Amino acid sequence: MMLLEIIFYVFASVLICASLGVILFKNPVYSAFSLILAFITTGLLWLLLEAEFLAIVLVLVYVGAVMVLFLFVIMMLNINIEEENSGFTKIAPIAIFLGLVIAAELIALFWIQSDHFIGEASFSSSDISANNTLLLGTELFTKYILSFEIAGFILLLAIIVSISLTLRSRKNVKKQVARDQISADPKKRVRMVDIKKGDM
Amino acid sequence: MVTLQSYLTLSALVFSIGITGIIINRKNIIIVMMCTELLLISVNFNFIAFSHQLQDLSGQVFVFFILTVAAAEAAIGLAILVALYRNKKSISVSELNTLRN
Repeated sequence: MMLLEIIFYVFASVLICASLGVILFKNPVYSAFSLILAFITTGLLWLLLEAEFLAIVLVLVYVGAVMVLFLFVIMMLNINIEEENSGFTKIAPIAIFLGLVIAAELIALFWIQSDHFIGEASFSSSDISANNTLLLGTELFTKYILSFEIAGFILLLAIIVSISLTLRSRKNVKKQVARDQISADPKKRVRMVDIKKGDM
Repeated sequence: MVTLQSYLTLSALVFSIGITGIIINRKNIIIVMMCTELLLISVNFNFIAFSHQLQDLSGQVFVFFILTVAAAEAAIGLAILVALYRNKKSISVSELNTLRN
């Protein structure tokens, strides 16, 4: 049990440092890497909470797909770092004050009302930890099947929206237009002219 | 023993760091979007902690859906960002005042 505590506090401090790094680094690439560290640490902490499937999904989907997308956009946009971070300190005291107030409120809520939460999280092997993926899949495909379909539809929508937002058709570029080629009509293209003998 | 309160406190700290990051950053929308991801992850942390505490899988199912929606949101947000950069050559928050007036 002591080992679990050590693991928890080490990973918790890494998570706090990584999320501080996200907002404190001047270079957005470093921020993205810091966020990747935060995600991986979160995944490890979820392993402690016996949510194995979601921990793996977090690492695969977020680190493997979303953060790569972020890094891709950051490196594609070519942002001027020094210019972008001027005026950083003007609003910083207000922001830090607000953050501290929110943290204090939430933590006070958790610790004052602590008798509403049942003591300590049990790490016993119980029904939920038997086979996390199997149980989660059973739950998803029976009780939550409609929500699952809607989630798939949302992802399809995201694909269509992001393609249509970033697709651009350039003007003044010579290229083939297949639609025009297919729908070409010989009656419009060819003009039959009667040429009489001796006309020219 | 690691209690439920420890997990909730950790997620509250991450949440407040995320909110601070959103307010503190006026120059770069990408950082704001990353802070949104931080907020979502801290909320997911709460769901997982309570799911473990109450031995109920519904929390994990909900986290699954939140992850889906967050991925869609990140993709659309970055697409908007690319379109924005193409038009304005800048992703500064303080220059996004086209809808003013």
